[in-house]
Amino acid sequence: MKFITALKTALGMAPGCEQVNEFLAEYVEGTLDEKMRAQFQEHMVMCKCCDHYLDQYRQTIQMTKETDEISVPSELAEHTLAFLRKSNAFASDQDAASS
Amino acid sequence: MEPTLNTNLASQDAPSDRGDLVTTTAEGAKGPISLEALMAGDEKAFEQLVIQESPRLFRVIVRIVGDDDEAASILQETFLQAFQRINSFRRESKLTTWLYAIGINLARASLRKSRRLSSLEDQEVERMQPDFNRGMFVETPAVWDPARVTELADRRQLVRRGIEQLPEDYKTVLILRDIEEYSTEEVANMLGISSGAVRVRLHRARGALRKLLDPHMRRLPKD
Repeated sequence: MKFITALKTALGMAPGCEQVNEFLAEYVEGTLDEKMRAQFQEHMVMCKCCDHYLDQYRQTIQMTKETDEISVPSELAEHTLAFLRKSNAFASDQDAASS
Repeated sequence: MEPTLNTNLASQDAPSDRGDLVTTTAEGAKGPISLEALMAGDEKAFEQLVIQESPRLFRVIVRIVGDDDEAASILQETFLQAFQRINSFRRESKLTTWLYAIGINLARASLRKSRRLSSLEDQEVERMQPDFNRGMFVETPAVWDPARVTELADRRQLVRRGIEQLPEDYKTVLILRDIEEYSTEEVANMLGISSGAVRVRLHRARGALRKLLDPHMRRLPKD
């Protein structure tokens, strides 16, 4: 990290790696306020550690989104409705059964 | 009472909402399920809810319990409880959020009962977060090279195994936020925790998963 950024961090004038990490999710989602975002971006430009970590963090999110599709049985809803009828959950089924 | 079919094109792609439960008819047209009909115990409206929400809720439950048959059974129990308890829905959240909360609770209870627990403990998740000294990284994180795992199937398997290892609290938040893409507030309502707790768990879950993927993703040194 360049000297000025390190000095600013040491003096509490700019966020350090730990603080950047703490708010990384908000940074990635773009929900940080403008001032904080600008400070984070300044830190990222100067800090190789945070730049690498951010890249890993983003790739982790992306790979999680791309994880296996779950195949849904075509008769799933039908079976669930059949279960509800069998459980006498529906009053009309109870009426039909009793008549 | 029949669920009202909405032929308004502008609302066809609207997400499920407490007052805007969108369903698809056999003819392919989409329309809202009447919340009032559901609250009144209307069976046709409830059938539409089952048809509409079963696929997504099933996927969430499968990801939590890791077993298709068990997930189908939990799904059935979820809708049974929802039908019996529909009057306890307080309209403070979306109806789907309330429904998913029932399903997720049943899935988590099943996971604990079956002892198909994750391999990592909460404390290990803490230890898998990066180390800092005086607010700065102790070690420079490695550069990742996506080309190391080029096959999508291999990458998916790696990630799936990683997610399976996470403690249940972390895994559930990761599934709901990063895979199913529910908002932080929706996840908080589903799990009965604060939005802040969702953010913390999500960040730690991502950090732990990153750590598990790290050995497979590091750029190899050049010869």
